[in-house]
Amino acid sequence: MAAKRTMTLNLTEAEMAVLEALSEKRELSKTALLRQALRMYQVIEARLESGNKLFFENEATKEKVEVMML
Amino acid sequence: MTVEVTEVHLMDVASGESVAAELWHVITEEQLADWEGEWVPELFRAMQRLRRAGVERAHWPQSRHWDWRRKVAALQGMLANPGFSIVCDGATQGMMIVDTVKHRGRLDGQQGQHLVYVEFVENAPWNRAELFDPPRYRGVGSILIRAAVALSEELEFHGRIGLHSLPQANGFYANTCGMTDLGADPDHEGLRYFEMTPEDAQAFIAKGRSK
Repeated sequence: MAAKRTMTLNLTEAEMAVLEALSEKRELSKTALLRQALRMYQVIEARLESGNKLFFENEATKEKVEVMML
Repeated sequence: MTVEVTEVHLMDVASGESVAAELWHVITEEQLADWEGEWVPELFRAMQRLRRAGVERAHWPQSRHWDWRRKVAALQGMLANPGFSIVCDGATQGMMIVDTVKHRGRLDGQQGQHLVYVEFVENAPWNRAELFDPPRYRGVGSILIRAAVALSEELEFHGRIGLHSLPQANGFYANTCGMTDLGADPDHEGLRYFEMTPEDAQAFIAKGRSK
């Protein structure tokens, strides 16, 4: 396992509530969820930088909605 | 670059003996050089033999078009896509690239949960029973799938993994790995999708320990 470094993270009450809810829903610790979010963020950045757009597709209707990245 | 290495064992088919090998938690230039200099020519010669023996193209290795250099270059530096390789006897015996963000569980009870998705996994040509009789080493595929399960546990995905299987490997994933076959996926060239639950993963790891 790769060596890890420790950091302190300051969150608002609302941010912490979301983090706790998502962690519980996805059966992950808060650390694991934030590491997953970082991996996902990097994928999205790489795709956007290479000229791709980000869409959500409704599985049933196949309707696509573009996520506007500002 | 520090390469994380785990000691593993393969079976030398000719002698029936267990031999020491290394699981590298990365794919390096050394592996890509082996692929270009050893795998590709060997695969070419094996396909020549199949063609001359009148074997239909449908039965040729389905990974024959894979370009590992291009795959590794495309995913260079991406945290979501670690690579793994197995080295034995000074040569690369297998390689795998996984994805940890783009796929979620599909099985009942696992829907929406994170898993490690095996994007590409390939055995060296001389280890493939359909190309070499006898093959050189056995156990490469199982060790790589076990590495995917271990990564899934490390990321707190509880051992869940998923993959789309090339037809020649369906039996391996269903029988050897104990994965659930969710059938042909029309969104993935009709390849069958297999998934391993946390319980399947525990059973698969326990099976490996008892050998």
